[in-house]
Amino acid sequence: MEIRNFNLLIVGVGGQGVISAIQILTKAALFDNYKVRTAETHGMAQRGGSVASFLRFGSGIEGPLIAKGNCQVVLAFEASEAVRYFNYADSNTFIFINNKIIVPPTVHSMDMEYPNIENIQKFLHQISSNIFLVNGHEEALKLGNPRTLNVLMLGVLLGSGKLPISREAIEKSMMVLIPKKYQKINEIAFKKGIEKGKFIISEIK
Amino acid sequence: MSIPQFVENAPGLRIILLGNEAIARGILEAGVVIGAGYPGTPSSEILSTLAEMQKYYPNLKVEWSINEKVAFEVAYGGSMSNARSFASMKHVGLNVASDAFMTAAYAGARGGMVLISADDPSCYSSQNEQDNRYFGLHALVPIFEPSTPQEAKDLIKYAFDFSEDFQTLVLFRTTTRLNHGRGDVVLGEIKKIDREYGFDWDRSRWVCLPSHSRVLRFKLLERLQEISDFANEFPYNSLKISDEKINGKRYGFVAAGIPYAQLIDALNFFNIREKVSILKLGMVFPPPKRLIKELLKEVDRVLVVEELEPFIENILKQIAYEEGLAKEVEIHGKDFLPQNGEFPAELYLETLAGLMDLEYASVAVPNDLLIIPPRLPILCPGCSHRSSFYAIKQIEKKMKTKFVNSSDIGCYTLAVYKPLEGLDTEICMGASIGLANGISKIQSEKNPVLAILGDSTFFHSGIPALINAVHNQNDILVMILDNRATSMTGFQDNPGTGIKITKEIGTRVIIEDLVQGCGVKKENLWVVDSNNLPEMIEKLEDAVNAKGVRVFISRHKCSLLEINEFRLKQIKTPIIKIDPEKCKGCLLCVDKFGCPSIIFKEREKKAHIDQESCRGCGVCIDVCIHDAIYKEEGE
Repeated sequence: MEIRNFNLLIVGVGGQGVISAIQILTKAALFDNYKVRTAETHGMAQRGGSVASFLRFGSGIEGPLIAKGNCQVVLAFEASEAVRYFNYADSNTFIFINNKIIVPPTVHSMDMEYPNIENIQKFLHQISSNIFLVNGHEEALKLGNPRTLNVLMLGVLLGSGKLPISREAIEKSMMVLIPKKYQKINEIAFKKGIEKGKFIISEIK
Repeated sequence: MSIPQFVENAPGLRIILLGNEAIARGILEAGVVIGAGYPGTPSSEILSTLAEMQKYYPNLKVEWSINEKVAFEVAYGGSMSNARSFASMKHVGLNVASDAFMTAAYAGARGGMVLISADDPSCYSSQNEQDNRYFGLHALVPIFEPSTPQEAKDLIKYAFDFSEDFQTLVLFRTTTRLNHGRGDVVLGEIKKIDREYGFDWDRSRWVCLPSHSRVLRFKLLERLQEISDFANEFPYNSLKISDEKINGKRYGFVAAGIPYAQLIDALNFFNIREKVSILKLGMVFPPPKRLIKELLKEVDRVLVVEELEPFIENILKQIAYEEGLAKEVEIHGKDFLPQNGEFPAELYLETLAGLMDLEYASVAVPNDLLIIPPRLPILCPGCSHRSSFYAIKQIEKKMKTKFVNSSDIGCYTLAVYKPLEGLDTEICMGASIGLANGISKIQSEKNPVLAILGDSTFFHSGIPALINAVHNQNDILVMILDNRATSMTGFQDNPGTGIKITKEIGTRVIIEDLVQGCGVKKENLWVVDSNNLPEMIEKLEDAVNAKGVRVFISRHKCSLLEINEFRLKQIKTPIIKIDPEKCKGCLLCVDKFGCPSIIFKEREKKAHIDQESCRGCGVCIDVCIHDAIYKEEGE
């Protein structure tokens, strides 16, 4: 099947590995012979700020930016960030969310309320019925390295069957991009994610 | 070790490159010798990638210069010596380099000379969103603008040939989405330049005194005319004419850079790409007059799609007037598109729909929105700047006054937000000290005036302003937050670390010696470890109360660099904890100090340390007035 235009948005908090995840998928998309573009958040916004990066691939793309409502998939490494960028999704979008909320430290001194998981879920269900929460952070901690969250979430996405990139291509890309020292643990995280992805999709069928 | 793909001399190989890496690859393929720059988002990765490449191509000679003006001059010195050369910087960097740039434009290039300006519409990481195409117009230097990573590589490679053919400088303008977007790029051949390098003793060209400059100015205008004629054949300009109509009218579009790529996506969205005329510009100045004239003759309405100022739009309107076409064709631009900010992708869809009366429904927004409070960038856990600003607050409180905290560009600018709210000005690099000079003439009787800036910013342009304060006896306290790196832009080294861009050992410049060399007296100089809060508060108070030009160096390595170093050496960092028995829930550490690793648990009304993010600096131990925070022993 020819892919003309696949649009993926990954959101999270600076330091969660959004750019590394995008990099892994970008290279994997190349291995699968796609034309590919990204737009990434670097610089100032990385200091614990909100991070949103676009990945596009397919034969019919030219620019790096995605129009609101036009994402096939949104991957949120932090739950409230999925709400911040909700308007990139529409009723057909699949949204995979790590169910952890990181409350910005400034919220307390600004005397503002931060939403909880129930609010977030309820809100996003108005946008799309394809909302999937994953205990990604918890699983990554269990594996002994919370920094594997990004790869675990990529596994979830792949396992769900909603990403038209091959497993081989992603694994090859991880081999190239992840430092040797951390490869083993990331492989495990990736597999764990795939299982979870398969499971959550089987639940709705 | 296998060599990285981006240095392989493998024409035809298709790889993924970040826009900035693609630019670096194009520079490598062009056989460039000299490269210089100053770090600045979104430009920084261009030079650091070339530094990586230099390991495999030792002919390359790249450096981080002290500021953009010097970087430009380093590169231009290379061009004078027949070497292909470039300087790279963010848009505001060109303000600093412009003194050299404006006159170098007269003398032109000998070895191919390209100046890269990375503009930042929407101010993602900048203090303004100036449109540097006007610098090209101002200096009468041609402006190239790529729209994809592939084109960035190809176009900059070509720019060096062009520069030598026309003996002109080239301004290579990009925007954030080009610099920080990845794409697939097919590599080309890495050229071997076979020529004799050496300085050219042509005083009539390089000595720009009035009698020479008048002649050079004439030559510059001649050169511009030649380039202007060539613009119609410029290989990265293209005109595609369609005589089809959409809702009764023939439409034409003019675009360059990222807006061109996004425009194509939007035309594809409506399936009308083949039904409209498109003029794509790879060189936005000087304009291809003949192509523009052809376009204007073939269509009823033209939309110029460009971010920021109506640069191309004004050129089109001028040409339409000159050619007597002003009444024949409608030229639109800023009447349909905003003059501020980056264009989001859906704006193209909405605009095309509005312009051509096409069907398009914007995304529906749910009725009850869930508001997410902003997640602003903040100082990292363990950041030494936090303790510097906390110390300032403590002294202000004790002296029952407010300092004027004139500050600058760097990570520490983030201290403007709650809870620190530690700075009062930020204009441009080095302005902290310059402004403090002026503010002190008015304010120093009422409030102490502080100039607060980082190590790299001090080297960049703080030094002349410090000498100015010494010479004119302006009463200021300069606080240099020396975290031993240019952190915000990616931890680049600077003269204070003494390490070169290639990680080779260079010569270190000692800030203490430098400051005294500028005329600051030894008794007016303090050096303190930023993370030693009690000592910092004590000595900073002395410094505030002293008279004359004072310099206070608050020094501690950037916590991100430090933690990486610890991880590499497998050094365990101290475990910091809060004793819930002693914590009174007073919120001082959360609401006044604001380290992101300190989290307040609402239910228990107690503060608690998040061990995942805590770097173990222990500054919060001295912040707590109830002795509740402690270092766990036995680690």
